[in-house]
Amino acid sequence: MFNSITLGQYYQTDSVLHRLDPRIKVVATFLYLVSLFVANSVAGYLVSALFLAAMIALSNVPVRYILRGMKTIALLLVITMLFNLFLTPGDVLFQLGPLKASKEGLILACKMGVRLSMLILGSSLMTLTTTPTRLTDAMETLMRPLRRFRVPVHEIAMMMSIALRFIPILMEETDKIMKAQIARGADFEDRNIMKRIRSMVPLLVPLFISAFRRANDLALAMEARCYRGGDGRTKMKPLKYEGRDHAAYAVLFGYLALCIALRFVKGMLPGFLGI
Amino acid sequence: MIRIRDLIHDFLLRDDEGNVNGTVRAIDDVSLDVAPGQFIAILGHNGSGKSTLAKHLNALLFPTEGEVWVDGMDTRQEDKLWEIRRRAGMVFQNPDNQIIGQIVEEDVGFGPENMGLPTEKIWKRVDEGLDAVDMQKHRLKSPNRLSGGQKQRVSIAGVIAMHPHCIILDEPTAMLDPSGRREVLAAAHRLHDEEGITIILITHYMEEVIGADHIFVMDRGKVAMQGTPREIFAQVEQLQALGLTVPQVTLLGHMLREQGLELPEAVLTADELAEKLGAIYEHSH
Repeated sequence: MFNSITLGQYYQTDSVLHRLDPRIKVVATFLYLVSLFVANSVAGYLVSALFLAAMIALSNVPVRYILRGMKTIALLLVITMLFNLFLTPGDVLFQLGPLKASKEGLILACKMGVRLSMLILGSSLMTLTTTPTRLTDAMETLMRPLRRFRVPVHEIAMMMSIALRFIPILMEETDKIMKAQIARGADFEDRNIMKRIRSMVPLLVPLFISAFRRANDLALAMEARCYRGGDGRTKMKPLKYEGRDHAAYAVLFGYLALCIALRFVKGMLPGFLGI
Repeated sequence: MIRIRDLIHDFLLRDDEGNVNGTVRAIDDVSLDVAPGQFIAILGHNGSGKSTLAKHLNALLFPTEGEVWVDGMDTRQEDKLWEIRRRAGMVFQNPDNQIIGQIVEEDVGFGPENMGLPTEKIWKRVDEGLDAVDMQKHRLKSPNRLSGGQKQRVSIAGVIAMHPHCIILDEPTAMLDPSGRREVLAAAHRLHDEEGITIILITHYMEEVIGADHIFVMDRGKVAMQGTPREIFAQVEQLQALGLTVPQVTLLGHMLREQGLELPEAVLTADELAEKLGAIYEHSH
């Protein structure tokens, strides 16, 4: 049941996207998020979708692998859309008891849905094409200026990378404990939400205990291998921009410029493109 | 290489508020020496103090009393701490809880990175480490996709990359299947035979210590027996009293000898027993 989470799971293959400097991928994901809010029209979303589709094609990652990540946020997506649909005031389309769905709400809900989906797909793509180690390397480098404000940048990066490494292990463990509890008659599928929450306790307690034990073991193993924080540490794979990274930055800013331009000409776009 | 003198280690017991309300003596007056290039095995059942002893060799724990010397450095000297940890590398029991890198080669590079080596040197060390345990072809894989034995070999590679003089393997096979156990032991023996690295293997499987130069058997924090494998394996009753499972071949040899057959005091392998029994058979006809 936990195989569906692809966030934070690297997909091993070779592609242009895999070889790009992780910093540009972090920056690109962030700018892509910005672009989704800048592009406030159907035309803008089409451009964003095309851009994403092109990136997915470049990544060599099977599409179903990327789409799998969507399943986990489907519920969140539906809730967000419903909130937008019913809580936006405007021309009433239809009524469900005290809830009024408005035309503006429907448009907003669709936009929100598209934005969120593309955002999730975009960030999944980043984590699928970048090893978490390189990702945290990128974060560490990009956040380095914050060190002046005494932000423990290296430590945060290390914590992130360890968390990412242990997610699949803990998932597997959760699965194992769950099966063990089911074998003893535990019911995780009960309709009653209170009962279901209560049935999580015998799942979470052993999981937490084991997580702490693992943390303890890992800390020991790191110390045994001379880990003593970020000072005096060198990198096996230092980040260095190459030709393709500069090209990628050019493509990225081109895309962003297009999104901004589309926003300004929104009113002039023909037909539904301008919605 | 390693010199332990009158080592005592007490663990503090705390109550719910964190006040010390007692101590447990995990190591009780142990003295032992390991010469460079030796293959040492430390045997003992659970709770015998063998893992605590291992952590002293890597300066992860410090003596309550007595002293531990690694390559002429006292583990209590704070300025030598990192050098001691580099020279006496450690491989732990659970393969999942000691791999830090998301990719095999990155994990092997973790130690050299911590040592502050320049990038090219790190790559060279990683290559050496992977070659030493024959994991070169898996270097780009995620550790999660490896078998237990392969994961332990990656951990060994990570230690080799730091150029240790000695490797301490703390129950490296306890969580592995039989083929994984064989892989890890073969890697340890190869490092000892070909690279001349001192190996200290801590285990509770007697089968694994047959190839060792010298064995220490621990019980309740003390060294209960020591000697060559043949000397140790000859004392079947004492071993069983210490809670160790004597290999079946040795046990069979021991029982036959008690029945009056002229067998040596300790039989280590099935081949050896077959050969000896064959000779007795020939002789009697």
